[in-house]
Amino acid sequence: MIKIYSTTHCPYCKMAKDYFDKNKVEYKDYNVEADEEALADMVKKSGQMGVPVIDINGTIIVGFDRGAIDQVLSSKK
Amino acid sequence: MYDVAIIGGGPSGVAAGIYASRKKLKSVLITKDFGGQSVNSASIENFIGYKSISGVDFAKTIEEQLRANDGIEIKDGLLVVSVKKLGDYLFEITDSAGGIYQTKTILYAAGSVYKKLEVPGEKEYEGKGVFYCSICDAPLMKGKSAAVIGGGNSALEAVIDLLPYASKIYLITRSGIKGDAVYREKIEKESKVEIINNANTQEIFGDAFVKGMKYKDSTTNEEKTLDVSGVFVSIGWTPNSGLIKDLVKADAKGHILVDSKTQQSSMPGIWAAGDVADGLYAQIGPAIGEGIVALLNIYDYIVSENKA
Repeated sequence: MIKIYSTTHCPYCKMAKDYFDKNKVEYKDYNVEADEEALADMVKKSGQMGVPVIDINGTIIVGFDRGAIDQVLSSKK
Repeated sequence: MYDVAIIGGGPSGVAAGIYASRKKLKSVLITKDFGGQSVNSASIENFIGYKSISGVDFAKTIEEQLRANDGIEIKDGLLVVSVKKLGDYLFEITDSAGGIYQTKTILYAAGSVYKKLEVPGEKEYEGKGVFYCSICDAPLMKGKSAAVIGGGNSALEAVIDLLPYASKIYLITRSGIKGDAVYREKIEKESKVEIINNANTQEIFGDAFVKGMKYKDSTTNEEKTLDVSGVFVSIGWTPNSGLIKDLVKADAKGHILVDSKTQQSSMPGIWAAGDVADGLYAQIGPAIGEGIVALLNIYDYIVSENKA
C-alpha cells in the first residue's frame, strides 16, 4: 500500500500523484494540512516535516524523487 | 550522433526543444522533470499569454506542447551525470540510467538550485523547520511563528504563502525589499507581518525541530533572537553549472558566461540559456527568449557545417 502525505498546493506532491496516476499505481493521499493525525504519522515516519513524504510499503521517500520511487517499485514487483 | 542535445526541461530548454523539432534537427532533450523553478510559484501573473496560471499547470502546459512535436527525443526522469568533450564539436553525455549520447552541440539549460544560507543549524534542521519550498511547506506552520529570509520576489511570495497559516511572520532582509511593489504593498498591509531590515542571519537552533533563529543587526552590531518554528530560506538560486565547469567560463557565482547575441559559451559547441547563464534577470520570459536564440544560433551552425 502506497501512502502519500501532501499539502494542497505543493507542486512536488501533485507531480508525484500525477506520476502514480500515469503509471497506474494505486495510492492513498493524506492531506496533512487538514489531517493532524496523518501529519503526526508523517513526522514520525520521516523524522521531518517537509512534504511530500511517500511511504511505499514501509520504505520512506522524502520529496518527489522519481529515481527512488522507480527503484522501490521495481524491487517490490 | 545528434545535432543538438538540450539539457534541462525548464522554460528555456522546452522552448529550444520545440524550435529544434520544427527545424528538424536530430535532437534530444534530457531532463529530470519539466517547468524548472516555475513549478514553485503558486500563481504566475507576469508571463504574457496568461492572466494567471499556477507553476504546476504552466509546467504541464509546456511539457504537452513539447510532446506535441514528434521531431525530438525526450528523455525525462533522468539527470545528466557527465559531459565530456571528445573533439571539436563532438561531446558525449551520460545520464543517470547509464544512457550515452554523442552530439555535435549542447544547449545547456540546467537552471539553478536553491541557494543556502550557510549558517549553523541550516543543514541540520532541513525539513525540520528549515524549508526552501514555501508553497509546499507553509501549511505546516498553522498557528506558528515563522521567519522568511530574503528580500526578493520569492521571499515576498513565501510571506504570502504563509499568510493563511502562520500566526506571526518575520521577513528578514539584509538590505531591504527588492521584490515587486505589488507584493510589497500586499504584505505591508498585514499586521502579523514584521519586516526586519539590515539583518544578517547567524544561526538556526532547536531540539528535534527548529525553535528559533539568531540574526545580527548590521547597523548596531547587536545580536537578536526570534522564537520561530519555521525558517523559509528564499535568498535566490545557485546556477547548476558544476557539470561543465571545466569546459566553459563562468562568473564567480557559477553563471556560464555567454555572448549576449547568440548565447554561445566560451567553448565552441556549447550554448547556455536561462538561469544557468549569466543573463541579468531570472524570469520565465527572458529564459524562453534565450533558449530560442541559442537554438537558432545552433541551427545556423549546423546548416553552415553541412554546407562546408
